[in-house]
Amino acid sequence: MPVTPSNAKSTTIPRRDFLTLAWKSLLAVSSALSFAGLLRFFSHEPYPAPVTKFDLGPADQFSPGTHAVIAEARSVIVYGSQGLMAYSLICPHLGCTVESAEEGFECPCHGSRFDAEGNLVQGPASQGLKPLSLEVNDGGNLILDTAA
Amino acid sequence: MRPSFFHHLHPPTIPARQSRLRYTLGAGGYSVFLSLVLVVSGALLMFYYIPTPEQAGPSIQMITFLVPFGGLIRNLHYWAAQLLVVVAGIHLLRVIFTGAYTAPRRFNYLLGLILFVLSLFLDFTGYVLRWDEGVRWALVAGTNLVQSIPRIGPGLYRLVMGGTQPSPATLTRFYAWHIFGLVVIMLIVGAWHIFRVRRDGGIAVPPPDQRHAPERISRFELVRREGLATLIGITVLLLVAAFIPAPLAAPMSDVTAQTADARAPWFFLWVQQLLKVGDAFWMGVFIPLAVIIILGCLPYLLPAIPSTELGRWFPRGGRLAQIIVAVLVVAILGLTILAALPTGT
Amino acid sequence: MKQRIVAASVLLVLAMLVVVWQVNRLPRPVVITPTLTGQEEYCLSCHADLPEISASHPIESFGCVLCHGGERLALEADLAHSTMRGGRNPSDLAVAELSCGGSECHTGSPELHRDHVARVQTSLQATYAGAITSIRYTYGAQADLTAQKAISAVQALHPPEGASDSRPRALDAFNPAKETHPFVQAFGENCLTCHLQAEPLPGAAYNRLTGCAACHTPSTGRDPEQPLHQLTTVIPYTQCNACHNRGNYDLRQMNFVPRSDSSSDRMHDYYQPIAQFTRCEFELDCVDCHTRQEAMGNGYLYNNQAEQQYVQCKTCHGTLDAAPLTRTIQDETDIALRLAYLNPDIPLQVGDTIVVTEQDEPLWNLRQLPDGSFEMITKVTQVRYPVPLVMGSGCTQNPEQQESNYCHACHAVQR
Repeated sequence: MPVTPSNAKSTTIPRRDFLTLAWKSLLAVSSALSFAGLLRFFSHEPYPAPVTKFDLGPADQFSPGTHAVIAEARSVIVYGSQGLMAYSLICPHLGCTVESAEEGFECPCHGSRFDAEGNLVQGPASQGLKPLSLEVNDGGNLILDTAA
Repeated sequence: MRPSFFHHLHPPTIPARQSRLRYTLGAGGYSVFLSLVLVVSGALLMFYYIPTPEQAGPSIQMITFLVPFGGLIRNLHYWAAQLLVVVAGIHLLRVIFTGAYTAPRRFNYLLGLILFVLSLFLDFTGYVLRWDEGVRWALVAGTNLVQSIPRIGPGLYRLVMGGTQPSPATLTRFYAWHIFGLVVIMLIVGAWHIFRVRRDGGIAVPPPDQRHAPERISRFELVRREGLATLIGITVLLLVAAFIPAPLAAPMSDVTAQTADARAPWFFLWVQQLLKVGDAFWMGVFIPLAVIIILGCLPYLLPAIPSTELGRWFPRGGRLAQIIVAVLVVAILGLTILAALPTGT
Repeated sequence: MKQRIVAASVLLVLAMLVVVWQVNRLPRPVVITPTLTGQEEYCLSCHADLPEISASHPIESFGCVLCHGGERLALEADLAHSTMRGGRNPSDLAVAELSCGGSECHTGSPELHRDHVARVQTSLQATYAGAITSIRYTYGAQADLTAQKAISAVQALHPPEGASDSRPRALDAFNPAKETHPFVQAFGENCLTCHLQAEPLPGAAYNRLTGCAACHTPSTGRDPEQPLHQLTTVIPYTQCNACHNRGNYDLRQMNFVPRSDSSSDRMHDYYQPIAQFTRCEFELDCVDCHTRQEAMGNGYLYNNQAEQQYVQCKTCHGTLDAAPLTRTIQDETDIALRLAYLNPDIPLQVGDTIVVTEQDEPLWNLRQLPDGSFEMITKVTQVRYPVPLVMGSGCTQNPEQQESNYCHACHAVQR
């Protein structure tokens, strides 16, 4: 119906525009549902996450002065000035595995250097080796958790 | 409003009488719709399917049961594929029984026939990709039909299978054909087919002075109708896919083990029934090929249908073609039903 | 037209909601990754209420598929169960090697006593050679009592030793249809319900599974429709009585006559009225005395039960002249310790002295105490019995006569 000044401010909407609004918003809802479904579809991860907890055996075998590399966990156990600690051997720069050097660790990729207790000495990395969680379980064994 | 890209894909107007659903059945359009559904759902499946003999079955089980909406996507893909064969077949029959194959549309009819055969090959290769106990007939008996072709058979078989017997290379090849090789050919032939529809004058109609109903519908109305058909199509497909699962059997454990009750996929059951009667080459290769060739020759060997009779069902000028095709359809349906019946004692 | 498009859009949204509802009705996946396979399994999505089958087969290590087969990723019952071995019972002898086998499991080396599956197939409980041989001999189908036929064809794991050893090298399959004497055929039709490969007779009293589970899943007395998910070595006498002590065969009618007495207590339930037995023969369970090789075979094929079964009263009690044979456990890998570990209430350690049988099988629940006396701790009932020895007692036995009927002359109890 023609829009006259008297009904221009009314709250009625022409039917054809309402219907257009209706189907467009319904299709928008369908698209939103489809998009959400698609995101869920892509979220599935077929392969199990790798193990992050490692049982290292009796805790008392790690005495002061210990410097033990745990290769399968890409970590090192150090009993130094801060007590029994675990550090990740994944270089904080870009993820290569650092190697043991005379006075600590050195990264073969871009030359970052760390001391024996993981502190940053030099190199393109901007922080030291990440400390990891160590706990003793009920059986007296040392449990390393690389995810914490 | 200004016409969009989709509007421009259509002619400015088309005759109203011939664009009714009662005339075309919408079968050609629905074939395009189903093909689009197949491409999209197939692309999604590619994110999880693994084409090796050990992983094919387990990856499909993962998709079906563990991936969110994975079962839905797989069922969509399966049902769209089977419906495509049916709907394309209906389109073929519609074209025959309305005489829309006659000149100048004869070449386009051949293109359509090629598309139909391609859809059967796509259905077959996709079926083999399941690599489960249900595909034994297809993998062993079906492909051995290639071997039976005189002279070129054994060589052609090795090309198809990637070796002298079913192997991991076979699965890789069928996968490559299914997701790319056949799809590329289908896209090219399909685009050509749709172009030729427009160039040959659109939907078959009587000459202007013979038309009883001169009304036409605009491209805007046409796109609206297609939009509605698409919405209905998606809704129906979604409900079918949600409630009727695609078949899945245990992964194939030993490719060479025999099973007596191995069944062909439904669209080849008529061939399996023929093979119970006689020789592999004549029954399994020659006759199906002959059916295609007969269908392809119809527009060229039979007299043209006068243009005054076009635009409606069962034109008199096309009677012979209608009878030939009706006989073929009844025969193929009959063979299919016979093959599908449970085996006797 | 626009109304139709709006209506179709509404239907589409509704359909999508229906789809979401339908997808959420599927079983929620529950995953375990057993350490022995490293592969995810989803059986627990539907079967989480099953009890752990035994302490020796924890689900965190074994999972389900290692023993049962099946499709580990499928959440739909028919597909998931389609490749299961042996239906509900993967220990059926036809598939036991696949289910229970493995060099670290039950088809390993004989030296480490890990060849259970192979040995069971040679034992009389699987071959039924004794019954088949005696019937065929009685009705003239064979000339002597040397076994020729078994339920399934089988080769001995150990060939007979020398010309005087009458144990067969191999047995053919018994086929009642190929027998000529009608009684032997009738025997084949009516009397083959009590060996490890046969389905039992209907009824709770006979209820058992086939294969390894026939003994190790103690399901006698239960409704056959109620499956029992349990494996144990602590086998009560009631499980043996699924086949033993159930009645008698009538050789003239060639059918089975079930025992007609009703049992009010263990003494009367244990044996049929015709049996003679001592106190220990009904207070103990069968497994307290009868050894693994007697029940499960030792790799030799035997002609009859009397040849395979060798434990006698003297095995535990000794004779007038000799105490029972003993062995002191020297190291932690001793088979006796591995067996005692399965029944944790039997406290056995390195340095303990246990009784052994004449074929050097350990009776690991029969220990010599520090003061020299012997004590048996029963496996099922967990009772400690002092074991009196014949030597130094007032027994008037003839040392040449060690069969049980001689001991029963004085020691049999009044039924």
